[in-house]
Amino acid sequence: MATYLEFIQQNEERDGVRFSWNVWPSSRLEATRMVVPLACILTPLKERPDLPPVQYEPVLCSRPTCKAILNPLCQVDYRAKLWACNFCFQRNQFPPAYAGISEVNQPAELMPQFSTVEYVIQRGAQSPLIFLYVVDTCLEEDDLQALRESLQMSLSLLPPDALVGLITFGRMVQVHELSCEGISKSYVFRGTKDLTAKQIQDMLGLTKPAVPVHPARPAQPQEHPSISSRFLQPIHKIDMNLTDLLGELQRDPWPVPQGKRPLRSTGVALSIAVGLLEGTFPNTGARIMLFIGGPPTQGPGMVVGDELKVPIRSWHDIEKDNARFMKKATKHYEMLANRAAANGHCVDIYACALDQTGLLEMKCCTNLTGGHMVMGDSFNTSLFKQTFQRIFSKDFNGNFRMAFGATLEVKTSRELKVAGAIGPCVSLNVKGPCVSENELGVGGTSQWKICGLDPTSTLGIYFEVVNQHNAPIPQGGRGAIQFVTHYQHSSTQRRIRVTTIARNWADAQSQLKHIEAAFDQEAAAVLMARLGVFRAESEEGPDVLRWLDRQLIRLCQKFGQYTKEDPSSFRLSDSFSLYPQFMFHLRRSPFLQVFNNSPDESSYYRHHFARQDLTQSLIMIQPILYSYSFHGPPEPVLLDSSSILADRILLMDTFFQIVIYLGETIAQWQKAGYQDMPEYENFKHLLQAPLDDAQEILHARFPMPRYVSTEHGGSQARFLLSKVNPSQTHNNLYAWGQETGAPILTDDVSLQVFMDHLKKLAVSSAC
Amino acid sequence: MAGLYVKPGNKERGWNDPPQFSYGLQTQAGGPKRTPLTKRVAAPQDGSPRVPTLETSPGAPPMGPPPLSSKASRPPFVGSCPPSSMEPTNFPVVESEILLEDVLRPLERALEDCRGHTKKQVCDDISRRLALLQEQWAGGKLSMPVKKRMALLVQELSSHQWDAADDIHRSLMVDHVTEVSQWMVGVKRLIAEKRSLSSEEEANEEKSVATAEQNQTVPGIQHDP
Repeated sequence: MATYLEFIQQNEERDGVRFSWNVWPSSRLEATRMVVPLACILTPLKERPDLPPVQYEPVLCSRPTCKAILNPLCQVDYRAKLWACNFCFQRNQFPPAYAGISEVNQPAELMPQFSTVEYVIQRGAQSPLIFLYVVDTCLEEDDLQALRESLQMSLSLLPPDALVGLITFGRMVQVHELSCEGISKSYVFRGTKDLTAKQIQDMLGLTKPAVPVHPARPAQPQEHPSISSRFLQPIHKIDMNLTDLLGELQRDPWPVPQGKRPLRSTGVALSIAVGLLEGTFPNTGARIMLFIGGPPTQGPGMVVGDELKVPIRSWHDIEKDNARFMKKATKHYEMLANRAAANGHCVDIYACALDQTGLLEMKCCTNLTGGHMVMGDSFNTSLFKQTFQRIFSKDFNGNFRMAFGATLEVKTSRELKVAGAIGPCVSLNVKGPCVSENELGVGGTSQWKICGLDPTSTLGIYFEVVNQHNAPIPQGGRGAIQFVTHYQHSSTQRRIRVTTIARNWADAQSQLKHIEAAFDQEAAAVLMARLGVFRAESEEGPDVLRWLDRQLIRLCQKFGQYTKEDPSSFRLSDSFSLYPQFMFHLRRSPFLQVFNNSPDESSYYRHHFARQDLTQSLIMIQPILYSYSFHGPPEPVLLDSSSILADRILLMDTFFQIVIYLGETIAQWQKAGYQDMPEYENFKHLLQAPLDDAQEILHARFPMPRYVSTEHGGSQARFLLSKVNPSQTHNNLYAWGQETGAPILTDDVSLQVFMDHLKKLAVSSAC
Repeated sequence: MAGLYVKPGNKERGWNDPPQFSYGLQTQAGGPKRTPLTKRVAAPQDGSPRVPTLETSPGAPPMGPPPLSSKASRPPFVGSCPPSSMEPTNFPVVESEILLEDVLRPLERALEDCRGHTKKQVCDDISRRLALLQEQWAGGKLSMPVKKRMALLVQELSSHQWDAADDIHRSLMVDHVTEVSQWMVGVKRLIAEKRSLSSEEEANEEKSVATAEQNQTVPGIQHDP
């Protein structure tokens, strides 16, 4: 292995794991002095085209409290057919099927290159994928039409044997019976009254027919063996009727008086959806897809009243404790989210409206279940349509990029405990010897449930070193962690993905240089950012910023090279050099700053930040900026106002927005039409290059980002100006003595000032 | 097969709506990928921006023309695959008129094959949708790309390429849902029914086709003087 960078990259590609530290401090005390916790970014189902799953079941350690899975780190006695668990040191007999193994005839899971193995479980009933559409009909005709078409389109993208169901709502909630016959029936519920799961199941006739309601029709149950089949049917049977049903969806018929919002019973509709699946397909992967065009305005879960003159809550209202419905609504949706999660069902929210729709209150539905959250202006936009299509995209094998009902289990060697996870999951409350008492994120457990996930779903997992100070470096010199993900593959198979990793222990006093060199600053930035955002969801904003600042200062004190009280002597080694600027941009990001964002927008941004992989997360923290000019090939440039030059085109990717910005001269040339003159063909190519690159990004991004095309002086240039480091502002412009770059009209601190302060504090002996 | 194009987003309804990729582009597997744009430049440790490098002309001449294209310096044409046009590409195919008959007849024939095997109600449902297709086609409500792709779909269906036919149906649903949503589900169902029918009867069918051909040719020979 040549460098740590290569080591880190290889591990990410093979195992979907990146650790903040790749050499581990060997005692609890030293680990806490490292400031950044020992933690990893884990993408449990990272796409591995080169890894065919094996068609047998894993071999488990026989110790009941361990049950770790046989892996390349285990010691094997080939003659005695024994293996020693590398987590609990239990000696285990190989099962009979392994009788033929030897040094030269190893099963895959013992080979070092198979630190990640995927097993296909053959036993157990396979259940089809389930999709329950929950559709708001309080929409403008244009929006409703676009939504109808998208839903009809999705029937063509789903696997033909998937089960589908339909609930529509406005003032009332309708649960539609789907049948192959021409008559369509539906059950109507009032949108103001919350119902228990039991009541819903009784009313829909989902409880076991102890007393047959229609004794005259004994043939019916034979034809439809499952009682649920009235509401959830395989697509290939009812696609024509469902297409018609969707095509005939009408706007909510109840009149909406002037000055009022339509009455929208989102809370009850979702409650019925959760109850329906709970009663029919518990513990089976299922997806509730909620489409909303406005906020819930009545019944349990209402977020705003129907008086238009009373606007929906803002950050200001929340701070002033003036958001009347927020707490109660949040509680309602949390209850639903937890019930869905307990049954392995995930909830997606597709919210398309110009105003807020209540994502703040409803966010737990997606965040706890691994569902998607999509926010757009209208269903009649490419942003919604394409994002929705991409839910049903397939991988290189033709399988859907979605998995259901996963449990992630983390096992550690004795010197480590697991402190928590941050990502689209809920705790399964499984205590055990490797669970830490100190929680980071969702802790107190070694297992989490992820009801909906795809190959990019990513969690942050936090650990605690528990080895005592002065104790010797643990046996073997390496610590190990095993990640076991049970899940339902989109092909409906049950599968288990097992990743086992090990890293060296080092004594932090004598070998600090080793630990330092193995620091992964990108992973560390994302892991600290997730902790920060997790705190921001529960605490006050300023406190989180202060906490982040304090951590950064402590890290610089520990790993910087400097002479005391001399800021100019301060240096950071290469493995730490980018970390402060990540923190600088994170402080300004919409994940921690709510200014200029609505509560819904903040919820939306944070939702995506807590589930994307490392590359995408870093783009969110510090956007990427590329420059196109006649002076050479496209190149990445500093995210700084000095990069905004007249003869350049800039392409900025913030994850949520793609911005193309034409510098002043370029914009003038374009207005003058040089690109249309054959002798200036190269100018035409220059204009085209960033468009092509932007398309490449758009092609792969989920959800679809906004696409901003602007130029020097354009009103939308603000997207670029608000992201770059304001190294030149109206305050210091003349101090620079030269007019390059673009001064930003802001009083925000620049990276330079930030760094000056950081150095001063780091070298000071006062703190 | 399916068109590869990008069309602009709906700026009327969506603020900064992104462009929309066609089904063909969305599902295009791999292809020569460019290196992803994920590089970033490290700020120097004091945080101050670099002095602009000399290659970027300081405050470039505001209104001079861009540098002329000299043949030598023209950037090489980038790749052959990335679609760069923002407009639907015009098919350079000879504009041959596609006849409703050519599309509808094979579909109806396929439906006739299914009758007796598939439930009557399903067949009637399919038939109703084929009628709708006919009505919209005859009424001039279908665009050229839809007609062309339907002709392809029918070709694939006739040659028992079920997956290909199904894929064309999907591409039509994704790219032209407004035009096709009402009746396409009938075509989709027809593909599925025909597929299950033929998997049962593959062998028999081959024989019967052979005999059918004989039956057709024999009378001809007999009538020959």
